[in-house]
Amino acid sequence: MQKIIACIDESTWSTSVQDSAIWAAGLLQSPLMFLHSIERQPQPLSTDLSGTIGLGARSKLMTEIASLDQLRAKVSLELGKELLEAAELKANEAGCLQVEAVQRHGEFIDTLLSLESSARLVIIGHSGTKAGKNFHVLGTHVESLLRQVSTPVLITHHDFTVPKNFMLAFDGRETTELALQRILNSKLLNGLDCHLVTIKNKQADQQEKFDQAAERLISGGFKVTTSFLEGDISKQLLNYQQNNAIDMLVMGAFSGSRLRQFFIGSNTLKMLENCDVPVLVMK
Amino acid sequence: MFTNMKNEWFFNIRGDLLSGLVVALALIPEAIAFSIIAGVDPKVGLYASFCIAVIIAFVGGRPGMISAATGAMALLMVTLVKQHGLEYLLAATLLTGVLQIGAGYLKLGGLMRFVSKSVVTGFVNALAILIFMAQLPELTNVTWHVYVMTAAGLGIIYLFPLLPKIGKSLPSPLVCIVLLTAVAIYLGLDIRTVGDMGELPDTLPIFLWPEVPLNLETLKIILPYSVALAIVGLLESLMTATIIDDLTDTKSDRNRECKGQGIANIGSGLLGGMAGCAMIGQSVINIKSGGRGRLSTFCAGFFLLIMVVFLSDWISQIPMAALVAVMIMVSIGTFSWTSVKDLKKNPLSTNIVMVTTVAVVLATHNLALGVLAGVLLATLFFANKIARLMVIKQEQPTEHEVHYQVVGQVFFASAEKFLDSFDFSIAADKVVIDLNRAHFWDLTAVAALDNVVIKYQRLGAEVSVVGMNEASKTVIDKFAVHNDPKAVEKLLSDH
Repeated sequence: MQKIIACIDESTWSTSVQDSAIWAAGLLQSPLMFLHSIERQPQPLSTDLSGTIGLGARSKLMTEIASLDQLRAKVSLELGKELLEAAELKANEAGCLQVEAVQRHGEFIDTLLSLESSARLVIIGHSGTKAGKNFHVLGTHVESLLRQVSTPVLITHHDFTVPKNFMLAFDGRETTELALQRILNSKLLNGLDCHLVTIKNKQADQQEKFDQAAERLISGGFKVTTSFLEGDISKQLLNYQQNNAIDMLVMGAFSGSRLRQFFIGSNTLKMLENCDVPVLVMK
Repeated sequence: MFTNMKNEWFFNIRGDLLSGLVVALALIPEAIAFSIIAGVDPKVGLYASFCIAVIIAFVGGRPGMISAATGAMALLMVTLVKQHGLEYLLAATLLTGVLQIGAGYLKLGGLMRFVSKSVVTGFVNALAILIFMAQLPELTNVTWHVYVMTAAGLGIIYLFPLLPKIGKSLPSPLVCIVLLTAVAIYLGLDIRTVGDMGELPDTLPIFLWPEVPLNLETLKIILPYSVALAIVGLLESLMTATIIDDLTDTKSDRNRECKGQGIANIGSGLLGGMAGCAMIGQSVINIKSGGRGRLSTFCAGFFLLIMVVFLSDWISQIPMAALVAVMIMVSIGTFSWTSVKDLKKNPLSTNIVMVTTVAVVLATHNLALGVLAGVLLATLFFANKIARLMVIKQEQPTEHEVHYQVVGQVFFASAEKFLDSFDFSIAADKVVIDLNRAHFWDLTAVAALDNVVIKYQRLGAEVSVVGMNEASKTVIDKFAVHNDPKAVEKLLSDH
């Protein structure tokens, strides 16, 4: 059966990742996997600037670097094990039936991609260990993760609360059509109030598609509120989210071309960076 | 794209800047020393080191590795410079670059898998000895001052790092050079200085096309040198990359490194520099000083140029004895001490490969020939070992029936043993050869089997070859004659 993969680390976002994973596992009746990936820290600690090499310089250096790596790896391993155990315990207490903990070495993205085939939903924190409460920045892995996986990704924020409503940012492009289909097929958002929001763009049949989307959501059993806005995409959407107390954002990802994203920036990223509620990216 | 930049360039800024500086300080004496080996002005090696380090930082396949003008390459240019001059060296450098880029596109980097550990060790040791021997001219026919200065230099280099605190924060080769220069100037010693060895750079390098006639004659002159330079450059670069891979436990892109070395050499040739490649000693120093990313290589080249151009008056005052001391350190640090300690522990064949590699290099001054000899020898030893992995068991269930079971590898080196293992004196009606657990690798093996089958047939026995595994079968079906009656007849009639 397809799993929910919750990626945890020692950052403050880890708690909300666990909470949302437990929430999603309950709704989807899916097994839950907590994943801790140990990434190599390439920064050397050495401050030996003597620039001298003597007899056996290479083997001596090798032993030094290797033992340093060993020390670091052991700390990370232990820390990860503790985190995973705590998360497992929490999930078991919350009544999740199938919970597993996986720890892997290697680049986070590679690890996740290797496990992706068994995943139906990936949950990751908005930011990682390098950011603090006051340092508001999108985690380094989020963008590459979103570009490479083909499963839905939930990006959590601090303090998870069970959502009562969600907003679907709809632009009529293929990626959001796909997101719409996913919402209708999934049990995750069932019964929540849906705010279908679009920002006017150059597509001729945008209104038509928008109306169709609303109809499909209504016939799918959602209570739908629609808004057709104009202006800057990310600004307007974020305003709407704040003014209507939206608990969760749902959207497709990266519909613009790479070139456009390079020069103008991607709306997906702007939304992710500035939004302070969980974002569900449907892929 | 940006994450890539960050991962390869800017993940270790402080470490890379500092190590780049340390490496640049050690590169200056090396570049000067190697120019002198090649017989060109120090500025040729210094420009080369700058260009190669800076270019390879962008296009190389092994972040954190240092490439510049090297001794291995300098040794190959000596006769070219002597007979034809600097312009031909620059042309040869360009051609070397072109050849190396070609090697990168042909993915020849993969050929490194044939170079065994003992060949690498032999290469490294030979290189260390060559660097040391290149210092000897500076130590012969000189006054006692030079010996004292060199000894003092080595003392400073190895003892200074032992000082608490300051020892690990200042590069001791720099301390050695500064102190010895100061002493030489203060005492007014009449010993050779860098300034006596030729021109130093006084400007930034400028673009210049080598002034050689573009004809077949020129190509004939430079091609042999370029081929040797290209091969040695790639060998040393890829071996150094392996060493850095091991030290940092990361992987390098070998074919990208080949192309990168080519581009760097073309850049060097166009800016008046000689050909170069990766340096084992410097790369180890870089890792030891905390360098890991591309930034460290870039900084090494950049700082080198800045220092050389703005301090050229001071650099010309450096006594050669100080450079010799630094180069002896590089030679000692490059030498693989473990390979000597492990001589007793390692199998004889491995030691022979290593020592042969060293010996051939020392005899020819060409590292490529040493590697070739080492690889050939290692291959022969390997074939010989594998050939021993074949046994034939014989059983005689009845008086007139023989069963043979062949186990192991049958190929050119074991074919004779294969043939000798069959007993043709038994008066058998029926011979069964069981190949279930054998592997047939080449035509020699196939021919040997044919030979055995036909021999038994001529002795009046029925031969059946059974249980041939799929791997052997494909080889045998392709080449063998014994299941083709006409071919058998032909073979028999030849006898």
